[in-house]
Amino acid sequence: MSRRYDSRTTIFSPEGRLYQVEYALEAISHAGTALGILAKDGIVLAAERKVTSKLLEQDTSAEKLYTINDNMICAVAGMNADANILINYARQNAQRYLLTYNEDIPCEQLVRRLCDLKQGYTQHGGLRPFGVSFIYAGYDHLRQFQLYQSNPSGNYGGWKATSVGANNASAQSLLKQDYKEDCDLKEACAMAVKVLSKTMDSTKLSSEKIEFATVGKTKDGKIYHHLWTADEIDNLLREQGLAKVDDEPEAGDIK
Amino acid sequence: MDKLVAQYSRPHQNEMYSEQEQQDLTASVPPLSLKFSLPPVDNHSAFLRAMTDDHSNPSCPIKLAHGTTTLAFRFQGGIIVCTDSRATAGNWIASQTVKKVIPVSRLSRGEDKKTDKPTPGLLGTMAGGAADCQYWLRYLSQQCTLHEIRHKRRITVAAASKILANLTYAYKGYGLSMGTMLAGMTPQEGPALYYIDSDGTRLPGNLFCVGSGQTFAYGVLDAEYKYDLTEEEALNLGRRAILAAMHRDAYSGGFINLYHVKEEGWVHHGFDDMNPIFWKTKLEKGEFSNVTSAL
Amino acid sequence: MAFSEDSGCGYQNFNFFLAEKKSAKAVADSACSWPGAPGVKLTARRSSLDHYFPSEVLLGIAGKDFVILAASKAAMRGPTVLKAEDDKTRQLNKNTVMAFSGESGDTVQFAEYIQANAALYSMRNDTELSPAAVANFVRGELARSLRSRSPYTVNLLLGGIDPVSEKPHLYWIDYLASLAPLPYAAHGYAQYYCLSILDKHHNPNISLEEGLKLLGLCTDELKRRLPIDYKGVLVKVITKDGVQEIPFDNDKIVRSA
Repeated sequence: MSRRYDSRTTIFSPEGRLYQVEYALEAISHAGTALGILAKDGIVLAAERKVTSKLLEQDTSAEKLYTINDNMICAVAGMNADANILINYARQNAQRYLLTYNEDIPCEQLVRRLCDLKQGYTQHGGLRPFGVSFIYAGYDHLRQFQLYQSNPSGNYGGWKATSVGANNASAQSLLKQDYKEDCDLKEACAMAVKVLSKTMDSTKLSSEKIEFATVGKTKDGKIYHHLWTADEIDNLLREQGLAKVDDEPEAGDIK
Repeated sequence: MDKLVAQYSRPHQNEMYSEQEQQDLTASVPPLSLKFSLPPVDNHSAFLRAMTDDHSNPSCPIKLAHGTTTLAFRFQGGIIVCTDSRATAGNWIASQTVKKVIPVSRLSRGEDKKTDKPTPGLLGTMAGGAADCQYWLRYLSQQCTLHEIRHKRRITVAAASKILANLTYAYKGYGLSMGTMLAGMTPQEGPALYYIDSDGTRLPGNLFCVGSGQTFAYGVLDAEYKYDLTEEEALNLGRRAILAAMHRDAYSGGFINLYHVKEEGWVHHGFDDMNPIFWKTKLEKGEFSNVTSAL
Repeated sequence: MAFSEDSGCGYQNFNFFLAEKKSAKAVADSACSWPGAPGVKLTARRSSLDHYFPSEVLLGIAGKDFVILAASKAAMRGPTVLKAEDDKTRQLNKNTVMAFSGESGDTVQFAEYIQANAALYSMRNDTELSPAAVANFVRGELARSLRSRSPYTVNLLLGGIDPVSEKPHLYWIDYLASLAPLPYAAHGYAQYYCLSILDKHHNPNISLEEGLKLLGLCTDELKRRLPIDYKGVLVKVITKDGVQEIPFDNDKIVRSA
């Protein structure tokens, strides 16, 4: 019955819906949760890493958090293969802008360019939309720290705290509850793991199951972004009392 | 021919000599011999240009020593003469210690000892071909000394400059390359300054800059020059103008060579490395603000 | 033919029909001195074009919170002054101005092409490009043009105030697409006469009044020593409040030493 309207991205259904786009959104809601929180002195991104099999090589590198350029990172929810294409596109655009203007691309411009591409795939015939939502964290001197979210339709918006992926509705309401205006980066990190611990299936977290990244400013005013190491994540979890008990390292390991 | 030229060329209005006196002065100069060997070609100057002109032909076989900044100006206390000390041949810095101020006409020759006392005589500056300048200023020196011996008084700057100008004019087209200034103070003239070049130009004036860095020196000099400068102001302005040119002109540099011509003769005010002077000027006065890593 | 940085949808420069605007000789010259062609040095190319329009005066002075741009008012062609009130500047956005000299035709064409692209950026992104970004964009466009069949022969000074930091910026750009940020700059013969003056009298903290006095020192020297009459200068001042044309006394008689 609905076969008539959902096989093409370019065709509206009689109710005025684009089914392919909605299916893409549906696909994303099964992906691991990712969230971002804007603090006054930085931004934190956190994502749930789905461990599908014990046999899978635990890659040390991130699979849900990506660097776009010197002052922007993003978190991915959805199809990783699609995300790779878009991230490559974003990185190229950021570098091209840098080459042209000798200045980092303003965050919103980059988000918009990516969304223009995504939008194109909801309109031009024969193509499937990208099955990815992003949370972007970045800094530019026009609007300081910024947090954006985008989805497969090509829609985007700026947020103070947001989440995508599985359980994003409950994550969103937790964020709404806990978010404090002008919290600092440290508080934001604590909030991020707390929200993740509640939305993820297992209550006890470990560095194997989540990824963490922050954007901030050093004392001398330089912008940095940092993908956290396993040790750093475990330390944070321990501080927040969310670490697995058997994961407690020996005394010698504590730095 | 010189007689004809002397007879029919009108002396400059500023000159102190009558036409007759000028003719007397130059009449004792021996006629130009033109005994130089010339290349066996039809057109000497074209041949010379082909061999030496590295502006249009960078691979020319003979690279003349060129490129200079020299300046001289008259003021209430005499004349300031200042030069750089770099000699270049094409892109090559041939020397950084060239003495481009040449004393001309000295009664007491053979006394090269340093003294604080003024040395009588004229000063000539060197710009253009180093060899041409050295050769012809020595020639001029000889003529000036002869003049002193014959007439028992020092030659005037007007007359000396006329000898040189007649000389360069006679060799016009043979490829001489020189731009010089003659500065001196005589009882007849007071402070006198002349510009003479290899085209045969001869001009009296208050202020001249000669050489590839001339424009830079003019810039600094014109902005603050006035006849009523004190001696200290004048020395500093001369030094600063040469420094400006040494800084901006690739073909000028090395040492700042500074002279002051007074009534009793000329006084040397140093042959000083430009670099400490540059940094002192920059750091203490805040000038040369474009020399920075901040931008 | 030309467009902004994002792949092909910027403001177009409608020069297709004017591709033959330069004489065959000029095209042949630029073709044989293509940079990187074997045996041809970039310097050789420079020397042939370096003195194209040296008697056009461009001066720029950056101070504490302003940039002054001055451009000669004579529009010359051969031995003739076609116009004595020419404006060789274009405002690119609220806080950036470009002054230009060079091959007639190329200059205005290029300046307005940059102007249009800067305006396009402002419209698309609701923000103005910073002077630094414009300067780099201009440099990129010139570099691209230099490798085309008929390059723009344009020398530029670009001055502006950064809208965020409110700091003055001045850029020197030549037709070979060199870009240099400077506290003061000049093009043509003015370089030879004025840079030594600016070396001596400029410092980065001068006020606008002192800056205009300094400009006077420069134009006086040009009147004194330049053998041609450049018909005075048009003076634009950029401050954080925008761009202003400043009345400038071009009729002062300068006496030579």
